[in-house]
Parts: sequence; structure tokens; C-alpha cells
Amino acid sequence: MKPVDLVQGTLDLLILKSLGAESLHGWAIARRIRQLSREVLQVQQGSLYPALHRLEDQGLIKATWGVSEQNRRAKFYSLTKTGQKRLDKEAAAWHRLASAITMVVSST
Amino acid sequence: MHWVNRIRNRFRAFTNIQAVDRDLDDEVMAHLEAAAAEYQSTGLSREAALLAARRDFGAVTQVMEDCREVQRMPWLANMGRDGAFAWRLLKRSPGFAVAAVVTLALGLGANTAIYSVIRGVLLRPAPLPSLDRLVMVWETDRTSGTTHEPASVPDFLDYQRRVRTLDALSALTATEVNLTRTTADPERLLTLRVSHDMLPMLGVATVAGRGFSEPEDRPGASAVVLISQSLARRLFERPEAALGQTVMLDERPQSIVGVVPDQTDFGVLQILSTAAYSRSFADRGQAARVDVWMPLQPNPATLPRETHPIFLVGRLAKDSTRAAADTELVSIAADLEREFPVNRGRGANVELLSDVIFGPVRPVLYLLAAAVFVVLLIACVNVANLQLARGATRTQEVAIRSALGAGKGRLFRQFLTESMVLTYVAAAVGVSLAYASMKGLLALAPADVPRMSFVSLDGTVLGGALIMASVVAITFGVIPALQARRVDLVTTLKDDGAGKGTAGPHRKRVRGALVVAELAAAVMLLSGAGLLIRSFWNLQRVAPGFDPQGVLKAEFQLPTSRYPVDRRVWPNAPKVHAFAGEVLAKAAALPGVTNVALAAAHPLDPGFTNSFRIIGREAEGVNWPEISVRPISPGYFETVRLPLVRGRLLADADQPEAPAVALINQAAADRFFAGRDPIGAQIRFWGIARTIVGVVGNERIQGLSSPPPIAVYVSIFQAPGAGVLLVRTARDPLTLSNAVRNVFRQQDPMLAVFGVESLDQALSRSISQRRFAMLLVTAFAAVALLLAGIGVYGVFNYDVAVRRRELSIRLALGAARSSIVRLVVNHALVLIAIALAIGISAAFGFTTLLSSLLFGVQARDPMTMLGVAAILAVIAIVASALPAWRASRIDPSRTLRAVD
Repeated sequence: MKPVDLVQGTLDLLILKSLGAESLHGWAIARRIRQLSREVLQVQQGSLYPALHRLEDQGLIKATWGVSEQNRRAKFYSLTKTGQKRLDKEAAAWHRLASAITMVVSST
Repeated sequence: MHWVNRIRNRFRAFTNIQAVDRDLDDEVMAHLEAAAAEYQSTGLSREAALLAARRDFGAVTQVMEDCREVQRMPWLANMGRDGAFAWRLLKRSPGFAVAAVVTLALGLGANTAIYSVIRGVLLRPAPLPSLDRLVMVWETDRTSGTTHEPASVPDFLDYQRRVRTLDALSALTATEVNLTRTTADPERLLTLRVSHDMLPMLGVATVAGRGFSEPEDRPGASAVVLISQSLARRLFERPEAALGQTVMLDERPQSIVGVVPDQTDFGVLQILSTAAYSRSFADRGQAARVDVWMPLQPNPATLPRETHPIFLVGRLAKDSTRAAADTELVSIAADLEREFPVNRGRGANVELLSDVIFGPVRPVLYLLAAAVFVVLLIACVNVANLQLARGATRTQEVAIRSALGAGKGRLFRQFLTESMVLTYVAAAVGVSLAYASMKGLLALAPADVPRMSFVSLDGTVLGGALIMASVVAITFGVIPALQARRVDLVTTLKDDGAGKGTAGPHRKRVRGALVVAELAAAVMLLSGAGLLIRSFWNLQRVAPGFDPQGVLKAEFQLPTSRYPVDRRVWPNAPKVHAFAGEVLAKAAALPGVTNVALAAAHPLDPGFTNSFRIIGREAEGVNWPEISVRPISPGYFETVRLPLVRGRLLADADQPEAPAVALINQAAADRFFAGRDPIGAQIRFWGIARTIVGVVGNERIQGLSSPPPIAVYVSIFQAPGAGVLLVRTARDPLTLSNAVRNVFRQQDPMLAVFGVESLDQALSRSISQRRFAMLLVTAFAAVALLLAGIGVYGVFNYDVAVRRRELSIRLALGAARSSIVRLVVNHALVLIAIALAIGISAAFGFTTLLSSLLFGVQARDPMTMLGVAAILAVIAIVASALPAWRASRIDPSRTLRAVD
């Protein structure tokens, strides 16, 4: 199955969700999203990093410098308290929207 | 607190770009490595894996740029974008850009230049720390009506003893001395004789050595002097080296005890020119750089109460005011008047020193400031008009941008940035203009404007220009932004976009108001310029009473050491008379010289005055004013072409031993001999009665704008005291300068000769302040007229363009071309009429600023106003008729068929 493009505005939600459990660096976030979506969702690197920086700027995630598995200096992102709150809100909103769309689409 | 982080990040993004870039680099590299590691685990080689990872990632630089964007301050980024956009827009409409920039540059440049002058002259802190506490104490004379007379030495000493409202009262006289050196030609130095406490009172500290001590200020004390820093540098290289040295001043050795800083101009020139008499070197017109300071050594024995040679400067005591000092000194003067009969009619008058210094130039500078501000206003109105016209064609753009989601604030910022780009470019051009014109301005400025040397385009002036430009920019940003607010999205977008719609009534009203405003402002300036030009014209047509053309003057002063005048055998002074005779003979022998004369003062030097009596009418004479005494050699009348009215002129026979004779001028004859014959009457002054043998014409010795004073002419051989050689030639008088200097060099190599110039030059300088104001205001008025004309043209041009369809329809329906022109011009006429009405009433206010500069014309002169109205009406009608005429030439069928 071909990877699908992300619905507009959902990248932030995916990033926040992928950071829910642990802090990750950029590539790992993309990988996590790919894995969790069973290879359906492909995050474009070109939009991932600007999004990360924007979220950091908004204070939803914070970054610390660490060392990657390849022994590289890498930036690890994790959720902040505000980020957690935002994730909960956005996730709830998404659920409502998705089930609504599902209802409409699957109605006969 | 995440915003703390945020600010820190932003700041870092701004200040430490390299660190930010390195972080981004690392982040991307970590990503690529991780991705490559995954590819490698599927069996790819490391190179292939890295390549694949890169391919997946896409354009690395693009991503990095996007990331950087997040951290930059968005408004800053927007501003940069807006700026670039504005620049592109302006480049796309170069006509508008050039017109706006040139217009604003003229306005801003003129304002910058005038502001720098005003700041240098008026606003800059004076070199004297306590200028606002210093006062001038003048004596007044009820009999002659003068309010600004120097004081007598005994009066000064009495004031000093009795006054309580001043904590210091100090005196000075201005004179000139000859500096003789073995190595160079003798030169003439401006000199002040001052009380010992003058410098401390002014707050001036010496740069080397000391000031005068109290004993040095007593009559007969040893000869000590202070010299200026620049003279010390010139003579001794370093100020310190001057201390203890001896200089020959007026051929007497004087020992230097101190050096005075150069910036000690406390307005000597202005004080001297304010005085009714004893102006000393004030009329020389050169920059008042005092080079020598000597102790005053006031001696009531040699300078009794009758003579008034000294100027009094005082410092207000703590808690005292000028008014209190005035009251006290007036009452002290009244006491002195009772105590000493010779003080009859004498009073006192206390003025702030700053008023004395700046009083005469303030009206001129304020006038120029007002004029130049009006120019800026007109420039602003013009650009506002341009913006309005352009705004109309931009409604489409604004509508699209709003439809795409540009908020009001965002649009506002865009317009603001545009006008800022425009205005700052204009300001840069304007300041360069100001800088370039500065030299000309300073050269044009009369020498008696105080502190002209302080005028420069410094940081404060540039700051002022920047603030001015910013105010202008914001104003212009607001106009199109407000217009944009009125944009109705739907109708504008539905419109086909060629600006087919006519200008709405609102916009038309605004443009009409702007046209009225700039025409009215131009009327104000024009009437000011008109009045000044007429004054100047009147002044130049004033017959000075003598003929300055072709006359060269050369001034000198005979040192009494070598040219003694013995009071006992007076007026016989053999050395002085011999000098006069030989110099006259040598000068007359110069090729090209037709007439020569010696005089105590040249015809534009007010010289000195004296009280006098007519023998047999002594009682009347008590209330007569003083008369100007003009010692001259007999050749004077031919040399300056002063006509004889009746009687005879002075002759070579009127020698010291011959009976003392005098001539009076027509003014004196009219005043004192109305209905009688002055010839044969006897006039007495300086203790000698002289027979009046003739009446001559009037000379305006106090300047063209002052009526000729009463004067008496006596021969220098019967009243020694020559100070100027006058030479008439048929050629350009300046070609004789060197020959005349040589005459003196041969006669007496120790003598300093100064003020060598033509009488024409001296005359022209005497009206230089008026010329300065006249030329500048006229220039500003011309700029204003030009701008107003362009403005009117622009508005009507646009008006006609917008109405092209309508006008074409009229033409197609058979309207005559002339009626089309009339249609437009009629509208213009209404605006012009309103503008003239407003402008002329405003001009009445503006021209009162001028009153002190007017001569022979009233501030509300109807002829000038009428002329101004005519000029303006013609310009405005032409400016509006031109586009109308072009519109009437259009081919209606083409306009109407054209698909807009």
C-alpha cells in the first residue's frame, strides 16, 4: 500500500503523540510515526524539522542535546507540560472528528 | 517559563547565527546517519546508504532555511520582506517614486539645513556656562532718546559700589591694536579692555597662565596682556610657550600672562552693534575673534562722567531677576542724575545678554524656520496627493491581499514600510543636499550672525532629520492604510480592475482639500518673499547720499606714541598732518586714481557723535541730540561725490592756523536752521567755535535703512584724527588694493592697514542680513511654488484620467473641446479662490514675523498680495488647464471602444 499524505494540520499531533512516552531525535520521531501507522504515514523530512522547531518555539516540546545510536551529537525532543495538555486536547478533538467522518463515510 | 526560552532562542538566532547553524547542521547529520544506519542494516554499502538517506531527506539547505525561519523574529522578517516588496513596487513605478523622493528630499533637505543653522546659532549650549544669568547694563539718554548707550567710568564705579541685585559688574571696551613683529607685516588685532573680574564672571578659564589681578586693573599698572589661543599658536606654537613672552602692541612692549580659549565669544560684536554709539569694530563685519585682552584700568581722571566709552556686563545675584536689576539700576541712575548735573537726562536699562546677542537674529531664523516648514508641508501634501492617486489604482491589489487573508494590521504595516522606504531614501537625498548646500549657506550668511562657526550637520541634526522623516513616513503610511480600510472587497474584485470607476466623492473632497492647503501655504511663502524682495529693492534704490562706485577704502590707526597730538597746540599736530599730506600726495600719484581723501570714518562708518551748541542759541541746545562729527580732508567731497548744497566746500587753505570752519549737512540745516541761513553761524564743540561756511548733502552713514543723521564736517587739518584713506578710480577699485597698501608701507612700514575693500563691498555687506533672509525666503518660495504647481498638475491630471470615459462621452455627444477645458478649469478656479482667501489671511500672520526686515513696505502691502495672488492663480490655472487640454484632444471613439 502506498504511503498517504498527511491530512493538513495533523503533523503536529503526530509529533506530540510520538513523543508521549520518551524523548526522541528527529529521525526516530519519523520512524516512530511510520511504525505506529504500520508504514502508512510517511513524514516528509522537509516538513518535520520546521515543525519541530515551531513546536519548540511554542513551548510544546523541549529539546536537549544527547548522543544518537550512531554516536552523533543529536537533539532529543520531549513533551513539556503544555505539550502534554495540547496533546490530550488535540487527540480528543481528532477522535471526535475521525469518528464523525467515519460515520458519514460508512453510512449507507 | 517557556517565553524566557523563546526570547533567549530568538536573541541567540539574532546574535549568534553561527552557533544556530552548527546546531542545525548537527541535527540534520544525526538524522542522515540514523537513516543511513537503517539502510545499511538492509544490506546496502555505507556510501549507498548515505546517498539513499540524503535522497529521502530532500533539499537539506531548504529544510535548514525553513527551520531558521521559525526562530527569527517574524516581524523583523516581515519587515525585511515588506521592505523588499516596497522597493520592488517603487522600482515598478519609477515616476511616482522619483516624484515623491525629489519632493520630500527638497522639503527634508531644506529643513535639515535650516535646523542645523538654528541649532548652531540659537539652541546649542553657549560656551558660557552662566549666559542666562548675565545682563547688559546700558545707559539711556532722554535728550537724544537712546536706550542703548555705553556707560561712563565714574557711573560704572558708582553702580558697582551701590548695586545689590548683581553680584558682579564688569566693564569692557573694544578697540584694535597694531601687532608689530620683526618677521612679518604689522597686523591689526581686535582687542578688548576688560575689568579684572570679567573673565571669572563670564566663567571663562585661561588655558595657560592666569587672568588679570586686581592691582593690574588699576590705572598706571604695568602692561600685561592675555592673548587668544589661536594667536598664541600662531606666534609661539604652544599656548604655554606664550607665557612670559613680550609682544609689541601699538609699539609698546606688553608681557603675556595668560592664554584665553578661542571659544570665548560672548557676543562682543552683537553688544557693540546694539550700542547707539561707539560701535567700534562692530561695523567691520568680520568674525569677532578677539585676539588680545588688556586690563581696563578705568580712570575717572582721564575719562570723566561726560564720556561714555565702556560697556557694562553684570551677573545677576542669586534669586535676583533682570526686572529687579533693572528697577534697582534705574533708581541708582536717578540718584546719580540728582548728584551730578552732567548726568542730566541719563538713566539705565538692563537687558539679558542673551537677548542682546540673539535678539537681532532670532526673527530672521524663526522666519526661515517657518518658511522651510511650509515648504515641507507642501512637499508632504504633494506626496499625500501622489499616494492618494496611487492608492486609487491599488485598491485592486489591496482587495486581493485582503481576500487572501492579509489582516488590517498586516496591510497597515505594509503601507507603513513602503512610505518609510520612500521617506528614508528622500531623507538621505535631502541630507546630502543640505550637506552640499551648507557651504553656500554659510558663505551667504552675514558675518554678524553670532556663532555661525558652530553650525554643522552633526549627530543631533541628523537625529532631528530622522525624526522629522519618521513623522512624515508614518503620516504617509496612514493615508493609504485608511484608504484601504474603505475598500469594499466584493465590488472591487468584481470590477474588471482597470480603475474604471470614477473617484468617489470622498476621495475627491480630500484631494481638493489638499490642493487648497498647498496653494494656501504657497501664498504665505510667496507673500513673505514678495515683501522681502520689495524691501530689498527699496533699500537698494535708497540713495546713500554718496557714490560708492569706484571708491576703495583702506583703514589704519596712527599710534599716539609716534604721532602725538598735543592738546596745548591743538589742532596743530605736525607729525599727523605731515603723514596726511604725504599719504594723500602718494595716493593721488597712483596711476588711475582720480580723487583721494582722508577721513576719520568712511561713509558707511557711523563714527562718533558729540554734543554741540550754536553760538547765541545755547539755551535751545540743551535738548538737542548729539551730532555726528566727520573730520575729512578737503578732497572728500569729490572722492565720494557728496554734493554741495550752498556756501563753499572745505579748502586746502583751511589749515590749523586759519580760522576754524565747518560744513553741516542738509539734515542739520533743516533741523536747526529752518528759515534761517546757516552760513556764517558758529557751531561749537570740543571747545572750539567754528564758522559754518557751507551745507552739503546727507550721507546715510548709519546704513541704508536708517535716515541720515545730523552731521558736521571739519577738516582733518583743523581736527586731527584720520583713520581711513579713500581713493576714487575709473577702474575696478579692487585692482588698486596692493598699490594702496604699498603707499602705507612706504610711508610707515610699522602701520597696520586693514579693511581694504571697495565701498560697494562695504555697502553690500551692510545689507547682508536682509539679503540673506530675502534670498533664502525667495528660494523657499520658489520651491514652494514649483511644488504647488506640480501638485495641482498631478491632481488634475489624475482627475482627468479618471474621468476620461465621462469626458469622451461628452465629446462624443458634441461637447466643444473648449468646454471640456472649462469644465476642469472651473473646478480648479473654485479651489484657487478658496486657497487665495485662506492663504492671504494666513499670510497676514506670517508676514508680521517679517516686520523687522521690511523697509519701505507694509506687512500687509496690498500690491504685493495682489501680485502674489496673480502669480499663484496663473500657475494653478496653467497646471490644471494642461491636463484638461490634453483630455480634450483625446479621440472619444478610441477611448469608448477600448476594452479597459
